[in-house]
Amino acid sequence: MAPRDSTISQLRRGVLEFCVLALLREGERYSFDLVRALGDVDGLVTSEGTLYPLLGRLRREGLVESMWRESSAGPPRRYYTITSDGDATLRTFAAQWSRFRDSVDSLLEQGATA
Amino acid sequence: MSTTAMHPLAADYLRRLREAGRGLPTGRLDDLCAEIESHLAEAIPPGTSDADALSVIERLGPPEEIVEAEQPAPADPGRDPRTWREWAAVVLLPLGGFVFGIGWIAGVVLLWSSRAWTTRQKVLGTLIVPGGVAAFFPVLVLSAVAAKSRCVTVARRNGSAFGVGSRHCVLVGGPSSLHVLLAIVLIACVVIGPILVAVHLARSAGRAPAV
Repeated sequence: MAPRDSTISQLRRGVLEFCVLALLREGERYSFDLVRALGDVDGLVTSEGTLYPLLGRLRREGLVESMWRESSAGPPRRYYTITSDGDATLRTFAAQWSRFRDSVDSLLEQGATA
Repeated sequence: MSTTAMHPLAADYLRRLREAGRGLPTGRLDDLCAEIESHLAEAIPPGTSDADALSVIERLGPPEEIVEAEQPAPADPGRDPRTWREWAAVVLLPLGGFVFGIGWIAGVVLLWSSRAWTTRQKVLGTLIVPGGVAAFFPVLVLSAVAAKSRCVTVARRNGSAFGVGSRHCVLVGGPSSLHVLLAIVLIACVVIGPILVAVHLARSAGRAPAV
């Protein structure tokens, strides 16, 4: 039986914000660049447009900051940077995620070999 | 941001997004549209073929899906989204006017600071009727004035030097039946209006997603 769509999309929704924070850890990025980078990852995003509401939520929660800037070529761009709160949140998640992933993996592997 | 060079398919997408997002708070929708407009301008530069423009739009997904993602998380089933703030607003709007008028103002502040209502509902709650049921009294006075009552002071002498005055109000010529009808309708609106609006707000807040 295939996992229900809603289960996968809930999992995705749960981890996406940390993927955004992880991409910003390397430095600022403008929204289109950020959205395309996530959209190009296999199986992570189904509709790129839904990432914009996520960016808005991260801004309101103070995990990222943004600033519109004129671009020499093309339309103005909104640049995002991670805040110190965002960085701390990402660190906490990364530690919990690796434990969680290892636990689930070991259970799945156990099930596969049994 | 200039939309002059926008691809017709991109312009159409933006229009559909605005349409789908009508229920969102204005600031949130404007912000979202600015981001999507920038995305479209970036991904669909002037001269892009229709096929390429369509694939950009396909990657973005349906506007309805974006609007749905912008809305607050769906409610916990079984959890009432109405907090004490929503209940206080619903009680203070019709009845707060009796507390020196301040109660009504507090109700309006609570109404506008809650996320359980749309802007349209907030405007409705504020305008029908300012002051709530307490606005009944000014309306009563107004309709009395409209009925052209005349008050006369009759001094009663009780043997003392100071008369104790009493005021008698008489309706000169009597109010016309139109006046009476108007006054009754006006008073009914002022009493029933705020109560109906409060009931409507309480019910719709109960269906709002928990925040």
